[in-house]
Amino acid sequence: MLKCVHKTISVGVATLVLTSISAFGAFDGKKDAVDGGMIYPRKNGVYTVYRYNDQNISHFNYGRKPTANELKAWDTDIRPDGVGLPKGKGTVARGDELFEEQCAVCHGDFGAGGLGYPTLTGGDRASLTNQRTPGKTDAPKRTIGTYWPKASTLLWYIHDAMPYSHPKSLSWDDTYAITAYLLATNEIQLDGKDMDDDTVLSNENFLKIKMPNADGFIPNIDGPNGVKNVKAFLSDGKNIGAVGVRCMKDCKDDGAKLVVVKDPRTDVNPPFAEARDLPKKPKDTSVKPGQEEYEKSCAVCHGNDKMGAPEVGNKEAWAKVMKKGIDKVLATAIKGTGAMPPRGGSSYSDDKLKQIIEYMYSKSK
Amino acid sequence: MKKIDKSSTNSSSLLLNKTSRRDFFKKAAVYSASAVAASSLLSPVKLSAEEKDDKFITEEQPWATSLGYELNKNPYGVPSPYEHNVVRRTTPLLSSAGDMHAAISVTPLQDLKGIITPNGLFFTRTHNGVARIDPNKHRLMIHGMVKNPIVLTMEDIKKYPSESVIHFLECPSNGAAEWKTPQFDSLQFVKGMMSCTEWTGVRLKTILEDVGVDPKALWMLAEGGDGSSMSRTIPVEKAMDDAMIVYAMNGEALREEQGYPVRLLLPGWEANLSVKWLKRLEFGDKPWYCKEETSKYTTLLPTGKAIQHFYPLEVNSIITSPCPEKPWTDLKKGDIVEIEGLAWSGKGTITHVDISFDGGKNWVEAKLKGLVLPKAWTRFSYIYKYEGKELLLESRATDDSGDTQPTINQEKKIMGVEGVYHRNSINTWYIKANGEVHNAQMRS
Ligand code: HEC
Ligand code: HEC
Repeated sequence: MLKCVHKTISVGVATLVLTSISAFGAFDGKKDAVDGGMIYPRKNGVYTVYRYNDQNISHFNYGRKPTANELKAWDTDIRPDGVGLPKGKGTVARGDELFEEQCAVCHGDFGAGGLGYPTLTGGDRASLTNQRTPGKTDAPKRTIGTYWPKASTLLWYIHDAMPYSHPKSLSWDDTYAITAYLLATNEIQLDGKDMDDDTVLSNENFLKIKMPNADGFIPNIDGPNGVKNVKAFLSDGKNIGAVGVRCMKDCKDDGAKLVVVKDPRTDVNPPFAEARDLPKKPKDTSVKPGQEEYEKSCAVCHGNDKMGAPEVGNKEAWAKVMKKGIDKVLATAIKGTGAMPPRGGSSYSDDKLKQIIEYMYSKSK
Repeated sequence: MKKIDKSSTNSSSLLLNKTSRRDFFKKAAVYSASAVAASSLLSPVKLSAEEKDDKFITEEQPWATSLGYELNKNPYGVPSPYEHNVVRRTTPLLSSAGDMHAAISVTPLQDLKGIITPNGLFFTRTHNGVARIDPNKHRLMIHGMVKNPIVLTMEDIKKYPSESVIHFLECPSNGAAEWKTPQFDSLQFVKGMMSCTEWTGVRLKTILEDVGVDPKALWMLAEGGDGSSMSRTIPVEKAMDDAMIVYAMNGEALREEQGYPVRLLLPGWEANLSVKWLKRLEFGDKPWYCKEETSKYTTLLPTGKAIQHFYPLEVNSIITSPCPEKPWTDLKKGDIVEIEGLAWSGKGTITHVDISFDGGKNWVEAKLKGLVLPKAWTRFSYIYKYEGKELLLESRATDDSGDTQPTINQEKKIMGVEGVYHRNSINTWYIKANGEVHNAQMRS
């Protein structure tokens, strides 16, 4: 039996190798793919080195038709032409409040960054031509105001993906408000006018936002020729730096000098090591009660002290918190405090929260 | 016992030389640095002055004089504990604020063999942590400009005829930290944002033929089921070419980090486009302008304009041995050594790889080896007689679309240094006379 299996395997490998040699370098490919690269034919059960089942069968008819409600629930994307814009409205002032409550902790006041998370505001469009070549230290600033081509992206993304630890928790009214706030702090105009605290952004006037860098991108992907434009663009190596030459002797590379890495980065985890030895001590990999939930819902803020959360592992901080007694601490965690959202932004039961807090404390003793 | 001829260059002694290198590293730690540099070491079996014989041969070892562990100790097998250093690594630089929910982990290329990345070492980038999805509750919806919109369960998806293909996935920011200057002294961090796997799933076209895509639909939105609903716009043309919906890698279910239970696979393209945790495909006549194709994954040029929809990973290569992690410090003048590396192209199939020892002035052609597949890692090899001299070792790949890797200067002239994505210029390893290998660049 074993022998038999062995045989079939080796036959399989032999076929594979043979096909690859006979077809090597060609595969009858044509440089005609939409990405400017090769497209390979699928013919008579052969695709490059692969065989496939070419029985001419279609209409598998698996699955089922989605219901209208299912489509409504999932088809929530928003296109720049306004298709998919949900009903809603909010003021810049309301957005300011919400941003301070739910976003500034990571993105900084006004979204101006500085905390390691993406910078959302500021900079100058002219900076986009900055190149940090030797002697030049100013970076291009890619923010909503200087870089983003479409406002719809912002509304859609904030609703689907932010705030980071409990995405999809914002109502559409609140999402319009925060979007309005971020547009205002980026000095973007609505209907030709600057936005102030009272400006209302809604599905009615959303298409009147003018993004400063709307024409900052190539190739043009809009309209019926969008895909053709991409293909033409990517097919011309001069557009994308695909300009290498297969020179073999006395090749010129004017002015090229050797630059060897200086002060290489070592802040990697786990540290660099190539030894074949036994690990120092076997890691305790059993999962403690509350640990999984902690890692999923709380670690994003409590894994460090960047935003002032008691850091798990910090004995002093946790001793101070727990001095109040677990019931008080639990009550605070349920209600939320400062930058700590109610229940840490989760929907865990009181008992589960207590278990998580006990886990956090146990890791900080 | 077979005696080994020092000067022999036949293949069996090369083999011995290779297998004994690993042992040597263990020993090298014992010797002082000067002892290593001294040429008193016998090659290829290295014995110290005091040691007449290798005691690991002359003495019985514990594993040969005791009972091994029960074979069912690990119902799901794990690597030998001696391999514990072979892991993905992270760094705060490649993350938001050191937050490992929005970060990238890199593959230990220095320790990989062949062209398949083990599933536990596949590089990982997530935008909202790794989603844990119950496969029984996961659905894939296909709708928009199609005749028959459908919802598929995982079971439905797995009923379609399956195909298996070997393709690499690479983050377009692979090497992005080094547009301006080398930053890492490590192959893992210089090029580790990529991996290569045998993927199994169904060709997207097979499903789409059932669904009936409106001929006026130009674009497909692919959306993930993770917390960020990571989404991208893809031309229908690619969906109808080699795109796949995959649920397995290297024979087992996708790992959660790679999109369990199901992801899109767009061979050769920015890995970000191969949307993980795939839950929705919508067809339309206009592009969507997702966050990851506007704010990110667009390549800023020196003109201030940025390239959008920059799909393919262009032809590329890297020498994996030697590298900073696997130096040539155990070699001495006259030793024969294999230079090995990986070449790949998202635009097609590797046709040539050349090696330079002098920083790109002169080149010799390396041999390709193993399977040479489209849009897959391809191994190359060059047997070299080590001279104990400084070298500027480079590799340069060419693909069947006619592209050859550019020099840093050629690429920089068009792309500048602020584009972040799609850096594929030639890499240099600076080999010191003592065999140490350091990351370097040839640039003006
Ligand atoms: C816990 C930290 C955190 C909080 C709180 C948070 N974000 Fe984010 N935000 C992130 C991270 C991390 C990213 C980058 C995600 C990625 O890698 O794709 C991000 C990305 C963004 C982006 C895209 C930035 C770009 O340049 O591409 C926007 C816009 C944004 N957040 C808005 C918000 C808003 C609005 C809120 C409040 C409702 C918020 N964020 C709350 C961490 C946070
Ligand atoms: C968005 C960031 C964030 C998340 C997510 C978060 N916390 Fe907090 N948490 C904070 C901050 C900030 C504080 C400190 C608040 C203060 O003292 O002003 C805090 C404080 C606390 C405290 C101390 C309360 C006290 O009485 O002083 C507890 C307990 C706590 N969090 C538990 C949790 C648990 C459990 C979770 C997950 C279910 C969680 N947190 C998720 C940010 C967060």
